[in-house]
Amino acid sequence: MNYLILLPQIILVAIAMLIPAIDLYFKDKTRILPYLAAGALGVSLLILSIFTGIIPLEIFDVTIPTSLFGGMLVVDRFALFLQLLFGMVTFFVVMASSSYIKQYDRNQGEYYSLLLIATVGMMTVAMANDLITLFIGLEVASISSYALTGFRKNSKKSAEAAMKYFIIGALSSSIVLYGISLFYGLTGTTDLAQFGTQLQNIDPSQDGLLAMATIFLIAGFSFKVAAAPFHMWAPDVYQGAPTTITTFLAAASKKMGFAALFKVFLFGLIAFKADWAIAFGVMAALTMTVGNLAALKQEDLKRMLAYSSIAQAGYIMMALAIATQYALGGALFHILTHAFMKTGAFIIVAMLSVMLIGSKVGDLRGLRIKSPITAFCMAIMMLSLAGIPPLAGFASKFVLFSSAIDAGGWLIWLAVVAVINSAISLYYYARVLKEMYVLPTDHIPIRMKEPLAMLIPVVLTTAAVIIVGLYPEPFIDAAMDAARALIP
Amino acid sequence: MTWVEFSYLIPIIPFIAFLIVAFFGNKMKEGGAPVTIAAVATTFVLSVLVLFDVIENGSYETSMNWIAGTGLEVGIYIDSLTALMLIVVTFVSLMVSIYSLGYMHDDPCKRRYYAEIALFVGSMLGLVLANNFLLMFIFWELVGVCSYLLIGFWYQKPAAASAAKKAFLVTRIGDVLFLTGIAMLYVKFGTLNFVELEHLMGHDVQGLLLPALLLFAGAVGKSAQFPLHVWLPNAMEGPTTVSALIHAATMVKAGVYLVARSYFILEHVPDAFLIIAIIGGITALMAATMALVQYDIKGVLAYSTISQLGYMMLALGAGAHAFGYTAGMFHLMNHAFFKALLFLAAGSVIHAVGSNDMRKMGGLHKHMKITSITMLIGSLSIAGFPFMSGFFSKDEVLSSVWHAAADNNIYYVLYAMGVITAFLTAFYMFRLWYMTFSGEQRDKSYHPHESPKTMTIPLMLLAILAAGAGFSFFFGFQDFIYFGHAPHVTIVHMFEMWQTWLSIAAGLGGIGLATLVYYKGTISPSTFTAGPGRRAVRHMLEMKYWMDEIYMGIAEKGVYGLSLLMDKFDRNVVDGAINGISSGGIGLGHASNEFDKGVIDGAVNGLSKGSFKGGKALWNLQSGRVQDYASMMILGVCGLIVLMMLTGVIS
Repeated sequence: MNYLILLPQIILVAIAMLIPAIDLYFKDKTRILPYLAAGALGVSLLILSIFTGIIPLEIFDVTIPTSLFGGMLVVDRFALFLQLLFGMVTFFVVMASSSYIKQYDRNQGEYYSLLLIATVGMMTVAMANDLITLFIGLEVASISSYALTGFRKNSKKSAEAAMKYFIIGALSSSIVLYGISLFYGLTGTTDLAQFGTQLQNIDPSQDGLLAMATIFLIAGFSFKVAAAPFHMWAPDVYQGAPTTITTFLAAASKKMGFAALFKVFLFGLIAFKADWAIAFGVMAALTMTVGNLAALKQEDLKRMLAYSSIAQAGYIMMALAIATQYALGGALFHILTHAFMKTGAFIIVAMLSVMLIGSKVGDLRGLRIKSPITAFCMAIMMLSLAGIPPLAGFASKFVLFSSAIDAGGWLIWLAVVAVINSAISLYYYARVLKEMYVLPTDHIPIRMKEPLAMLIPVVLTTAAVIIVGLYPEPFIDAAMDAARALIP
Repeated sequence: MTWVEFSYLIPIIPFIAFLIVAFFGNKMKEGGAPVTIAAVATTFVLSVLVLFDVIENGSYETSMNWIAGTGLEVGIYIDSLTALMLIVVTFVSLMVSIYSLGYMHDDPCKRRYYAEIALFVGSMLGLVLANNFLLMFIFWELVGVCSYLLIGFWYQKPAAASAAKKAFLVTRIGDVLFLTGIAMLYVKFGTLNFVELEHLMGHDVQGLLLPALLLFAGAVGKSAQFPLHVWLPNAMEGPTTVSALIHAATMVKAGVYLVARSYFILEHVPDAFLIIAIIGGITALMAATMALVQYDIKGVLAYSTISQLGYMMLALGAGAHAFGYTAGMFHLMNHAFFKALLFLAAGSVIHAVGSNDMRKMGGLHKHMKITSITMLIGSLSIAGFPFMSGFFSKDEVLSSVWHAAADNNIYYVLYAMGVITAFLTAFYMFRLWYMTFSGEQRDKSYHPHESPKTMTIPLMLLAILAAGAGFSFFFGFQDFIYFGHAPHVTIVHMFEMWQTWLSIAAGLGGIGLATLVYYKGTISPSTFTAGPGRRAVRHMLEMKYWMDEIYMGIAEKGVYGLSLLMDKFDRNVVDGAINGISSGGIGLGHASNEFDKGVIDGAVNGLSKGSFKGGKALWNLQSGRVQDYASMMILGVCGLIVLMMLTGVIS
């Protein structure tokens, strides 16, 4: 066993423990804490890049895949892909937080500490090869994010959001746990790798129970990814949470839900594809439609983006209905591009509130003069979310949708629904552009100064969206490699 | 290492310039003009180097997958045709952008101007370099967007704004047909790559007529051919520099380039050649007649462009065996030089006079000698005065049409139309020149002056090419740009043909008649409109053959009538369904509206008071109440169970 492969997580946990202590002893924390957290994330991202071979240095003696703790954790290409993604999103969130959180000075230690711990939880889900480790990872991340959502203790909205998130989260955890216990009862194991063989042997009279167990897992995880009809918490929580945490929830935490779904269904239960694929198909269509239709009417940017996230989750969920390697690769690629887009978009919203511009769609008016660079980045994000070529969102949607068409059968109809939904979504994305660039302003706007710590992640993600769109090949290759680890 | 390997930089540099100017132009001199000029100059230098490479090593292709596994590719294909287009586009664009320094000096929106020019040039270069139809189409659309932006540059003027829309909408008709043609090719051959298509052509040439004509339809829109020529005269509402760019280098040449590029398809469908030639011939003659009655200096030039584009199409339609390809592209090159020159000279005149109306001009020769002389050179060239560039290319065009007539007699008619067009061209160009520069100044309210050096130097450079570029035909051009086999024409050989003398006669005749009417005054212009018959002809020409009115009629009556019909159909047939869907949509919209209200209220009231509007909450799914959300989740689980039962997983 080679525990070296856990080095990124070990570093994160160590720093997460250190941060509260520093918080107690140092006066000027606003400076040290974010740097410390960002540093920890930076180092683990570096190590992860070396593991994956993005940085071609052979200083660590690790093999991929590595199995740890008797197969409870497996670090393969899939795990590394998602770990990099989670780490990256958190890194951007921490950067943006250094400007955003300044206003709420107290308890900063726990903010950064919880962020890091949540990241480790998500990384654990990506590595989990057993329902128990999966559940533990899920809970570690979830409980940390409940607390983070309520970080603004004196804001009613924030507290309410946290409370809602916690109650619904607890409900869904119990559903997941129930599902897991049913599976254990049926198979006598929680090891995902053994599910396939164990379930082949069960008595046909137990089929109903198996279906119930499957349903519970679908329902429980669907809460995490905010798929309809388990999505209702998301707009409220996204709106109420501090915007940096919203970024984290939309770009990372939601993707952890997908990691869990992929692990359980596309790896553990792939042999029973015929039983659950249709359920995911229906949910995918429902989710994207509900998300897009509801987004049409939203006036609040955060709420609009929350519904847009729901719609995007619908697109990603298509991969579970298609359940092929190509589709999974497409979904992972879309998860990556969506993480870039949503990180950028939400940090822009956070930035607007720091700049006291406001968070209504209408407040964007005149942004092209107030802050041309922000307006441009926002425009790129919106166009990419709508799937306009040659941006990243187009490339990943293209792969995802074409995987549905490749699979044929009723999945073609799913692709049709998805394309129609993309067309609908253009309406509300374009509205943002219209507000920023077309509509006249009542009074002459003045050029404003952007907080640099937030502008950097925004510019970086925008650049990423453009680069991935223009030259998607290496990113698709990485996603396909990751997919190959799950569906050979 | 060869220079073609860097050819991918040719479109990229202007795009980068576009971004730089768009974002930082306001902080720079002249709104970022130096960046745009430097970028265009760099692409020109690169294009020249690429040209030498192509002369030495032949064609070059490189490509990469855009999105892996989907067949979408991004790549560059350079052959002699591409190399020629690169030179023409970059050189003319360079001249225009330098000239703009003077012409746009006082415009408050210079940043936008230079940014859009860079984007325009970059898009056109991308179009020329693309190695497959899809990529070409993407740039084709970008060119369309840029022309929209630039024609409507002075969008405060209603005429400019509507001209921009008109250009965009009319060319859109061609674009849609073009895209359909591309789709048909893809379905048939499974690839859009030029080289691969050319290979596949050898095996299967059945059913190519329709896709070939659809491709040509794209060119008809973009290159303002009959019957989609109506946008181009209005397009001069933009700054004159933009007109020069559109007419000489970028927009309209894209259509001609498309036809030339598709030659490997067209050669298998001789019928398509004939149609192209007929459309070209009609366009050439019709536009030339309309130019006769224009008083707007740019109007004359605009119709002249349409007419000359018709010439190019006519030559390209003469077919693969009759060196029409060489003649058409040769005329494209020469036209780029002399038409850019004429537009820029006209711009210089407008700059001095402050109006486009030729009736206010006259006698400008003594005030602006450089403009006057360079414009004279341009006019002589387009009129086909012996040994000017236009003379050689026009002669080659007509000669290729004559050759094609050996196979099909219709080409004799087209040849005659071409000769008449040549005569008319010479006449209206000299009408323009005399009305502008000779005689007495008719409107004394302004004081003309020569334009600044940034404007006159490009004029002089272009004048040299407009005069001399024709000789290149005998020194390499015909051995470089050809399809199938190279024509071998020598100057001596040319003058042995009676056709050459006929076209000289047509050109000189036109010039002579214009001299008599507008310089000597021996014949009064009113002679042409004496009598009801002649007046009717004049009226018809002034009304531009009522083309705009016909289209308006179609648009108003036809489309409106169709929509009325649809409406009836809607009400009677699909009523129920539509109503159902729409009320569903309204319901959803309503619900999401309620979501908002519910939640914002909920948030304000806080959890403790979460039980607001208790009864109504049944309707409000997104009530803000966590209990409802939890119940919804349980309902969702039940829904999944029902779904599983329906699909038979649970029995």
